[in-house]
Amino acid sequence: MGYSLVNILGGLLIVTSTMVVVSKTIPSAIKWYAIQSVVLVGVLLTLGLTTGATELLMWAASAFVTKVILVPFILNRAYKKMGSPADSTLTSSIKPAWTIILTGLEVAICFAVVTRLSLPTAEVATPALAISFAHFFVGLTCIISQRNILKQIFGYCLMENGSHVTLALLAPTAPEIIEIGIATDAIFAVIIMSAVVVRIWNDTKSLDSHDLTELKG
Amino acid sequence: MDVSMLTVALLACPLVFSLIMAALPKTTSYSVFAGLNTISVAATLVLSVVTAGTMLSSGQNIDALGLWLHLDSLSSIFVLLVGIIGFITGVYSISYIKIDIEEKTMPAERTKQYYALFSLFVFTMLLACLSNNIILTWAAVEATTLSTVFLVGIYKNKQALEASWKYAMVCTAGVAFGLFGTLLIYANAADIMPNAHEAAFLTSIMPYADQFDPMLVRLAFAFIVIGFGTKAGLFPMHTWLPDAHSQAPSPVSALLSGVLLKCAMLVIIRFYSLSIITVGDTYPRTLLLILGTLSILVAALCIFKQDDIKRRFAYSSVDNVGVVALCLGIGGPLGIAACLLHCIFHGFTKALAFCMAGNIQHIYHTRDLNKIKGVVEIAPVTAALTIIALLALAAFPPFALFISEFLTFVAGVQSGPIWVVVLVAIGLTGVYFALTGIALKSIFGKAPEGMKRHEVPALMIIPEIALAIVVMWFGIATPVAITSGVEDATSVVLNQSVEELHEAPLYRMVFSSQTKTSEVN
Repeated sequence: MGYSLVNILGGLLIVTSTMVVVSKTIPSAIKWYAIQSVVLVGVLLTLGLTTGATELLMWAASAFVTKVILVPFILNRAYKKMGSPADSTLTSSIKPAWTIILTGLEVAICFAVVTRLSLPTAEVATPALAISFAHFFVGLTCIISQRNILKQIFGYCLMENGSHVTLALLAPTAPEIIEIGIATDAIFAVIIMSAVVVRIWNDTKSLDSHDLTELKG
Repeated sequence: MDVSMLTVALLACPLVFSLIMAALPKTTSYSVFAGLNTISVAATLVLSVVTAGTMLSSGQNIDALGLWLHLDSLSSIFVLLVGIIGFITGVYSISYIKIDIEEKTMPAERTKQYYALFSLFVFTMLLACLSNNIILTWAAVEATTLSTVFLVGIYKNKQALEASWKYAMVCTAGVAFGLFGTLLIYANAADIMPNAHEAAFLTSIMPYADQFDPMLVRLAFAFIVIGFGTKAGLFPMHTWLPDAHSQAPSPVSALLSGVLLKCAMLVIIRFYSLSIITVGDTYPRTLLLILGTLSILVAALCIFKQDDIKRRFAYSSVDNVGVVALCLGIGGPLGIAACLLHCIFHGFTKALAFCMAGNIQHIYHTRDLNKIKGVVEIAPVTAALTIIALLALAAFPPFALFISEFLTFVAGVQSGPIWVVVLVAIGLTGVYFALTGIALKSIFGKAPEGMKRHEVPALMIIPEIALAIVVMWFGIATPVAITSGVEDATSVVLNQSVEELHEAPLYRMVFSSQTKTSEVN
């Protein structure tokens, strides 16, 4: 029952990450990322209650603080600091329909790989594990396809969420210090990348990655 | 003081100085920041020599903070690289950055940022080398990116911003793959080991490596090579490297290329060592052989298109990291020893090359090779040292890189495949022409009309002379301490004793120092 719920929440994770990628505006992407983080907290809580790993309940609490509150706050602050620039012209190089198809493909490939792993979790939570793997490629797709450099940061955040779920699924009793270490590093990464984006905006008044092509070859 | 406490002190030293500098007001004078950073890198140098020297001479691994820090012969080599090159580039920075500020290339208020981040960068590299916890190692490598993003983008211009953005994005996303691979290893270890709380510590994991799930280790190793290979600058994840290395201040470029790339390779080497126990050596070797060869070939093709001297050196870094990966791909005692020697020798040589590029940039106020002519007339000392750097980088004898590249070819011919050796030879010849071309066209040639003789300050020249002496010394008479250290480290990588290594063909002839010593005893 517990793992079934984890798998259902895993399905929600991939839906919300697709919504982050296809969101047309930054506020919308921030909102979907926060929703995804709530789902991730749900995954951690469910896994904690299912496996009896109290560490996961602590993870859920810290993930709520870092991912539901802090990361959206940092990204929103950077967005506001730039004067909420209009970014509707910075469309993705992949159309939303293709993004959804690509995401489906990525999940399918990861599913095929996960079924070949001889791990206890792989037997009971194959869909959730496949989705956590697939988050890496969804994140990468986001980074590669987005023209808006602030939006590219979400790609990294999705990848980081993927590793968070993978760790929870494969090593639910991992010491809290490991989870804190990963989360802290990710927060710093988002802060620093946001700061660079703000610097670029202040200097060039553009968030278009196509404007950052002076260095070539 | 206990040697494990010294290891903690080694790690704490640059971090404490970085925090002190970060706490000072921006208006503090330049000399205070430069002085503090110099003390920081000097103390780090002394501590790294003492700790790594103690470890290498005694042969006893050092553990500190429980299982969290571990210094063995393999990490000792890289700790020494960080300590020595960190010190040399730190001293070189004093005059280099001062000139940048005087010429208003760098805003004076960024002095604090530069020096605080410089020491922090040294700390993160040391942590990456010393950490025995695989998750902490990932965090340290990630932290090297975060601490250097603003160093790469410290100059106030659009290109520096572009480089820092690409660097941050590509490396952070790339290293996230490394985290994924690391987590897979951790999860499998936690599943197998009786004490799951030790599953993150490499020394605790290694005895169980033969019980890991082979499919999972294959997957994890691929992720790790992609992740940390991005940081190392392996093709096709190398795209950030020419941008970041060309836009960063030259002392930072020297540290990035000379040391940081090797720290990332150290992480790959650690997991290579684990993977060969679980899945045999064919899979990890093949993966690295392919990436190494492609890195060399792509670098050879791209290097010719570069008119920017630092971009040319950056592609040479891709080429040399490719050689390191290739050596791992060739495998065997000789291949691994060549890999480690190449890490050491390239570290010093590339640090010299980027420092020389820094001299030239300050003298000519450009990095464009079409505008840099007649260095020999304008700045003879810089010209002489640059020629040494270029020849050393092109792996001419009697310079150090000649030895490691020669060993690479010997190992390659011995274990094959021979067509890879031929391809690599073609690639390296291309890089050789690109580097010697700089000497012929820019160092010699006619100096621009009206340009007066102008040499950089002695404080920039002295560290460069030290580096030039090292690359010649190591090439002419490689110290026994290095060969025996490399031998011990090779045995760590291959999980074999030194005696077992000596059974490998040719290896004993090259690395016989320890045998000789034991025979004398």
